[in-house]
Amino acid sequence: MGRRQFPRLARLPRVPSIRIGRAGRGLTRAPALRGIAFFLWEKRWFLISLAVGALMLSFDPPAGLERPGYIVLTMSIMSVILFVTEPIPLPSVALLIIVGQVLLLGQDSTIVAKSLMSDSVLFIMGSLMLAVAIVKQKLDTRIAYLIVRMTGTKTVNVCMGITLVCGLLASVIGEHTVAAMMLPVAITLITLTSDDPREVRKLAAVLLFSISYGCSIAGIGTPSGGARNAIMIGYWKEFFFDPGNPETQKYLIDYVTWIIYCYPVFLLQIPFVTVILFMTFKPEYSNMSRSVVRLRKQIEDQGPMQSSDWVTFALFALILVGWVGFSDQIGLGTVALLGAIAFLVVGLVRWEDVNSGVNWGVVLLYAAAISLGVQMKDTGGAYWVAKSFLDLLAPFNVDSGLPLMTAISTLTTGVTNTMSNGAAVAVLGPITLNMAKAAGESPIIIGFVTAVSSAFAYLTVIGTPACTIVYSSGYLKTTDFLVVGYRMVIVSTILLLLVANFYWPLLGN
Amino acid sequence: MTDSTEHSPGEHMDITDSVPTNFSILVCVDGSSESDRALRYAIRLGSGTDANLTLLYVRPIDQELRTGGLQFSVARENLLNWGIELPGMKVLKNARDQLIELGLLSDETQEDFKHTDVVGDPLGDNMIIYSTESGRTITLKLMVAPSVTHGILDESDMGDYDITIIARADSHDASGLGFISPQMAEDIALEHSGTVLIVHELEESHGHLVCVSESNESIDAARRDAVIASRCACPVYLFSVASDENDLASAERAIAQAKQAIEEVGIKISGEKVVIGDPVEKIVEEGKNYSVIVLSAPTKKQGWRRLFATSVANRVLENAHNTVMIAR
Repeated sequence: MGRRQFPRLARLPRVPSIRIGRAGRGLTRAPALRGIAFFLWEKRWFLISLAVGALMLSFDPPAGLERPGYIVLTMSIMSVILFVTEPIPLPSVALLIIVGQVLLLGQDSTIVAKSLMSDSVLFIMGSLMLAVAIVKQKLDTRIAYLIVRMTGTKTVNVCMGITLVCGLLASVIGEHTVAAMMLPVAITLITLTSDDPREVRKLAAVLLFSISYGCSIAGIGTPSGGARNAIMIGYWKEFFFDPGNPETQKYLIDYVTWIIYCYPVFLLQIPFVTVILFMTFKPEYSNMSRSVVRLRKQIEDQGPMQSSDWVTFALFALILVGWVGFSDQIGLGTVALLGAIAFLVVGLVRWEDVNSGVNWGVVLLYAAAISLGVQMKDTGGAYWVAKSFLDLLAPFNVDSGLPLMTAISTLTTGVTNTMSNGAAVAVLGPITLNMAKAAGESPIIIGFVTAVSSAFAYLTVIGTPACTIVYSSGYLKTTDFLVVGYRMVIVSTILLLLVANFYWPLLGN
Repeated sequence: MTDSTEHSPGEHMDITDSVPTNFSILVCVDGSSESDRALRYAIRLGSGTDANLTLLYVRPIDQELRTGGLQFSVARENLLNWGIELPGMKVLKNARDQLIELGLLSDETQEDFKHTDVVGDPLGDNMIIYSTESGRTITLKLMVAPSVTHGILDESDMGDYDITIIARADSHDASGLGFISPQMAEDIALEHSGTVLIVHELEESHGHLVCVSESNESIDAARRDAVIASRCACPVYLFSVASDENDLASAERAIAQAKQAIEEVGIKISGEKVVIGDPVEKIVEEGKNYSVIVLSAPTKKQGWRRLFATSVANRVLENAHNTVMIAR
């Protein structure tokens, strides 16, 4: 009996426009069906966070901390529990933060609403819209062609090429964009090598991790590489810049300044990614000539560059010019929004695609987290936590200089592996910047250590968007991230500390 | 052993009247070798009486909020445009190929495609339903759910299946997003409202060890299992554990009641045994010699008490070295 094709499942609907279940079968109804006991068990971390909040607020604030600061600290702890455990949808945490500021801190709701919007939030919104626009242009085939022409067919070269190209792109347009574009390229190479995933498990691991780690290490290269960078730039300005004091002008970090500080960290990490991946996984095939040739043919069949491709490149070049040349005057966010508007006006992307492709809940989440971070600073909560943390570190002589940077990098790496790196910077930024202030260290260097360390989320699937996207391929196990991730963390931390200790002080802070 | 009567498998298989019509089986597949065994066992259970068979692969919903704000559908759509299939497709195709090789599907089998939209995932649930002339259906279902556990429990609730078969593969056999971890398998067995077979290192020819107590639930479960076992010509052995000498009479009564209940539906048991000791230890130890350990478990209507439940069934499930059936 001949084996039949499996035609219909293979031709699943490709238009992501279905948002409401015709059959009324919503995913969110599942807990309710399981009964109250199951529901309460699933929501246990939400209940625990409420209990922790109620318990903390029933006590008087500790010495040195005012009541408002204590309330904001309590809200931050509750938020961290909810960010990490996710018992409720994450945007609900954002809504709780907003409501908490009004009800617990007694702030005017209009003032709270205003605190939600800043240039950082505009940048996050604009860059997400740009991400959708760029992925829709199908430039992945062009990029894949560039990689296979550049690298030849040796597996190690292909992996290094992927890491390099992903890195160069992700340092500018955001890691989720690059991961979404490059994942099909890697999977195509894997499936062209073998149809049986068990035969190419290690090859799949090196190719997929080349994408995710290439993106992760690059996200810190420029301000537009990720939300965390824009958040840190916003915090420097909010916490330290005083328009009446020219001395504080240095806290307005522009695009080029960021690159001067952080791009070397990215470049230094590139060769280590491939070395670590090959030492960890040892792929089954050292040469991928068969699959590379087939991929090349597949790509060549698509023909030469279209006019829309050229327009996309031109628009992107203009956006880059805007970020480099004008972001210190009009803001990163404004440039990102202008870029998104340009794509919409030219007609390279439809608003419907942008609307369905951007998760607006994430924008709300970052907005609320930044707002809470600013409250931490304004109420003295962040300074109190920073001072208490330094007091804890003092007996071990790690309360200043390189040891302090190591402690902050370790803390940030730990936190960023349990939640999104943007949220980690939003939560930790006010604390680490205040630690710098209390310890007499440069807030700029400590801020960079925090922002860069937040990219070291190599250990978990949820650590970075790129990790989450490559995991969705189904080729990786969650344990793979641990096995290779800890080596990446060690190497990246050492490189960061070397740069922070020897290079950054030369730049003058 | 108080008494042991050996019967060759299949000797008492004249139970057509007691077998429910439209018997339906849900097999949860994840691509592991255990799930291949689970599928073979399901085919064996379903053979002869045209049972309806549903093969389910649960794809956890793409984690939108963890992709930094870019909807996962953008990445997923890009993958599909490259001709790359959804996770789980290959597993279902392999399962379909096994069905073809076994002659359960052929080119003449009528097939229908069904798509169900799901809030939160643009690709939703997709299935192919194969229908034979005799009215038997074989369904391949690719389902999306918040988690594999949720998906299997939802499908079990919605599908009204007579038995749900789940593979419990070791972690080193893990691959793919829909992998059913040992912990997931235990959670499903605990939370399920019907009969669940947790397949682990299943060797089909050694019979069912049905563990009974005097409760009505246990006796019903024994009868239910006997009917299921009869479908695959598997011998049934009754087993009861008394905690001490004083409890021995109760254990023997349980055996007698179960035997009577099973024989009332036209099935003869192949052996019976009563021992004294810790129920969990004794069941796990004795169970090694059989294909399947069968236990009854409380239904899900106990509400809050479920949270604190440490029933014998749960503990056996955690400690057993082989396949366990929780009959409800």
